[in-house]
Amino acid sequence: MHFVSRVRQRLDDTELQRNLQRTRGRNAAARLASLASLDDFDAVRERATEIRASVLRDLDVWLERFEAEATRRGATVLWARDGDEACRLVIDIARRHDVKTVVKAKSMVSEEAGLNAALEAAGIRPVETDLGEYILQINDNEPPSHIIMPVIHKSKEQVSELFARVHGTAAKTDIVELTREAREKLRPEFLGAEMGISGGNFLIAETGSVAIVTNEGNGRMCTTMPRVHVALTGIEKVIPTLDDLATLLRILPRSATGQAISNYVSLLTGPKHEGDADGPEHMYFVLVDGGRADLIGGDFEPMLRCIRCGACMNHCPVYQTIGGHSYGWVYPGPMGSVLTPLYQGLEKAKDLPQAATLCNQCGVVCPVSIPLPDLMRKLREKQVDAGLRPWSERLSMRLWAWVAQRPKLYARGVRFAVRYLRWLADGRDRIQAMGVAPGWTAERDFPAPAAQSFRDQYAARQRRAGR
Amino acid sequence: MSSARDDILGRLRQRIGREPAGAPAAHARVEQVIAASQAGPRPSYDGDLAARFIERAKALISTVDECAAPADVPARCAHWLIGQGLGRQVVVSPALAGLDWATSGLDVRIGAAGGDDPVGVTGCFRAIAETGTLMLCSGAQSPAVNSLLPQTHIAVVPREHIVADMEAAFAVARDAFERWPRALNFVSGPSRTADIEQTIVLGAHGPYRVHLLIVG
Amino acid sequence: MIKPPPGSRGEVGLFVTCLVDLMRPSIAFAALKLIEAAGYTPVVPDTQTCCGQPGHNAGDARSARALAQKLIAEFERFPCIVAPSGSCAGMIRAHYPHLFDDDEGWRARAEALAAKTFELTQFLADVAGVTEVPGDFVGAVTYHDSCAGLRELGVKRQPRALLDRMPGVEQRPLNECEECCGFGGLFSVKYPDISGAIAQRKCDNIRASGAGTVALGDLGCMMNIEGRLRRNGDEGTQVIHIAELLAGRLDPD
Ligand code: SF4
Repeated sequence: MHFVSRVRQRLDDTELQRNLQRTRGRNAAARLASLASLDDFDAVRERATEIRASVLRDLDVWLERFEAEATRRGATVLWARDGDEACRLVIDIARRHDVKTVVKAKSMVSEEAGLNAALEAAGIRPVETDLGEYILQINDNEPPSHIIMPVIHKSKEQVSELFARVHGTAAKTDIVELTREAREKLRPEFLGAEMGISGGNFLIAETGSVAIVTNEGNGRMCTTMPRVHVALTGIEKVIPTLDDLATLLRILPRSATGQAISNYVSLLTGPKHEGDADGPEHMYFVLVDGGRADLIGGDFEPMLRCIRCGACMNHCPVYQTIGGHSYGWVYPGPMGSVLTPLYQGLEKAKDLPQAATLCNQCGVVCPVSIPLPDLMRKLREKQVDAGLRPWSERLSMRLWAWVAQRPKLYARGVRFAVRYLRWLADGRDRIQAMGVAPGWTAERDFPAPAAQSFRDQYAARQRRAGR
Repeated sequence: MSSARDDILGRLRQRIGREPAGAPAAHARVEQVIAASQAGPRPSYDGDLAARFIERAKALISTVDECAAPADVPARCAHWLIGQGLGRQVVVSPALAGLDWATSGLDVRIGAAGGDDPVGVTGCFRAIAETGTLMLCSGAQSPAVNSLLPQTHIAVVPREHIVADMEAAFAVARDAFERWPRALNFVSGPSRTADIEQTIVLGAHGPYRVHLLIVG
Repeated sequence: MIKPPPGSRGEVGLFVTCLVDLMRPSIAFAALKLIEAAGYTPVVPDTQTCCGQPGHNAGDARSARALAQKLIAEFERFPCIVAPSGSCAGMIRAHYPHLFDDDEGWRARAEALAAKTFELTQFLADVAGVTEVPGDFVGAVTYHDSCAGLRELGVKRQPRALLDRMPGVEQRPLNECEECCGFGGLFSVKYPDISGAIAQRKCDNIRASGAGTVALGDLGCMMNIEGRLRRNGDEGTQVIHIAELLAGRLDPD
């Protein structure tokens, strides 16, 4: 379905609109409140930005360093050029270890790769264990609408109805009871699954570890209980040291949910040691490119600094109006409007870079200072270069610039425009339907201009004053 | 066909403009960055770290108790559990096996928690004042499951193990471990979720309660 | 260069902006009055047209550069450039230099211009340090922070401080005053549904503020907000440019 029709549907969906409005502003307020407990937020942000940027400048070498360290500590590091290859690698691992059931902690890369469908096709049962992701999975594999709050678009009544239908239990509307019901459904899965798949918030080159940040504890479960752990991450996730991890952890949960720290941060290094009471016997990393390497060294490299906090969408007026599903792929909001065309192809997401007011709320809150509106402008440039914008728009831009470089002609154009608009207004102070910009008058009135432009009034005034 | 690894790294090198001859210098630079690693900007605290830790831990909905000496731990645990109506059955990490659990009146098993254990007792490698967070290391003496599977987690926190921040805890860990533990778990209060209507519910998958017993 | 008249604090180049020129000249006259009242001599280069922002935001970098070069050449002789618009001043300050990332000469000129370009209230409060404003408005006013002024230039305290100087004005807080109004230039025409829904929230907040008047610093946002209010049948809420409010009555001349 086309973006514009998807949006129309979402705007008309009163239930969705109610759900969006319920949380709108709340995450922003929580973030702001939590920044107070950092003495100097800007300094932390600057440092976080530099950490991420410095890795990207030498990404090849940092990855090699990470790989060597992780391998030395007993993990197996595998590489995947794209999502399909990542799925094949994960399925191979599962088959090698005779895996029937996989418990999954939230991983956006696995969403990129379409891993669940691939596992199912291979006869392996994936179980999403993040509460939000679980809700989506049992709702016929609905996609998430937010990168850290996947079911932000749903009400408790909708969850209740879903649980009653799928679990065959009595409907509950109490959120505590709903959460408990999911806990009870998932507990046996954690204890029984042979393999756990997690994403990775950061890969630490110093120790060859992956850091996993969760609140629910499902990340810990998936990486502690099963025999095999696979961490599936993008290649851009490396950071140099544990000190850098500490810095980034000051800013990630605050930006995401307004917490000073998430409930669980697990730093996982290799498989279980001899004598250890618990932990997986095998640990794998699958490092996925999926379009990332091509961004290095170009205009869009800053996008790879992203730490997937979701602050940009929490502050985006467009996201808050149309919801995450309108964006059409895994990543919604401003970061999605940049990533989707880059990873999926410019022509597959023509609207996303355009459907933004460039208000720069996202750029201001991004904890790693990604200039998201500038990147959207760059994408618009690429669209123009690739001939993906309508000829009428390109022509009118050129024409506008051509005339605006010729002041005398421009002045005549302004005079004409004044007369034209006043003719449309037909003696009133406003225009209610305008053929040249029907989009404007579909939603609001357009004012009638003053009888004379500033330049003409001013010139007359100067003449009268004898200047 | 070249491997995915060579392909990805090759494209990165090409985009970065790395000449083969430039690689050793880059490797040296990377090692240098790691060797010279330093803490970033971090909040500073005046006053008592333990007080700060306790205050932050309570803000995370952990409960806190204090006792004077390690020998008091079993009795304090029993007192709290019984007071809360949480029963007497506990599984205790081997690291704490040396304490006198026999006289506490608790039904104690030393070892790793299973899915049905109601209460897990653990030690704690370090505790972090900045956020009220526990830092737990997995190992033969300290099973990770004890702080994960039971509905109630009691952590014994030696007062001298309370450090200012994560950087300080990492500095200790770098010195302490010959082999880095499989899992370093930072635990900040009971498990929680806010996935449904952004309403916070405790006990999503992990413990419903985290009780901290500060010793010393 | 013509010397400013004796007693003047210096010349100020006024960039009127294309939208004000076409739609609402009173904003530019108000700006002239305020600059004069602050003791400066405003000069209006008569060849000025557009800062190039439409092309810049539409991915037409070539057009944006051409118009930027024209504006730089017209205005670089002034010690100070003022625009009654956060978004046009922001274009010059935050974006012009990057248009010339691969042209050192122009980049230097763009940077020099950027450093001395100000949004009107920024100029009045921070550069001129005015403590008196001529406006005599009486009533409750709420203020909407337009995006570019706020986030590209840091205009936040200045308009409010200037309104504080008007004894008749009672300032009312505006819930979500830093949220975008949904204008976004051509966005408002390309995605009217989304734009309209965002504008609706802004209008609801303005009405909830209880002030009968909303002031702001960008004509684009004004037209969007006013147009939405009127379309909804709100004929009462006044939408006014901060320059008009601060300047008060303009000479009929
Ligand atoms: S782009 Fe920035 S704000 Fe958005 S998710 Fe990534 S890190 Fe967070």
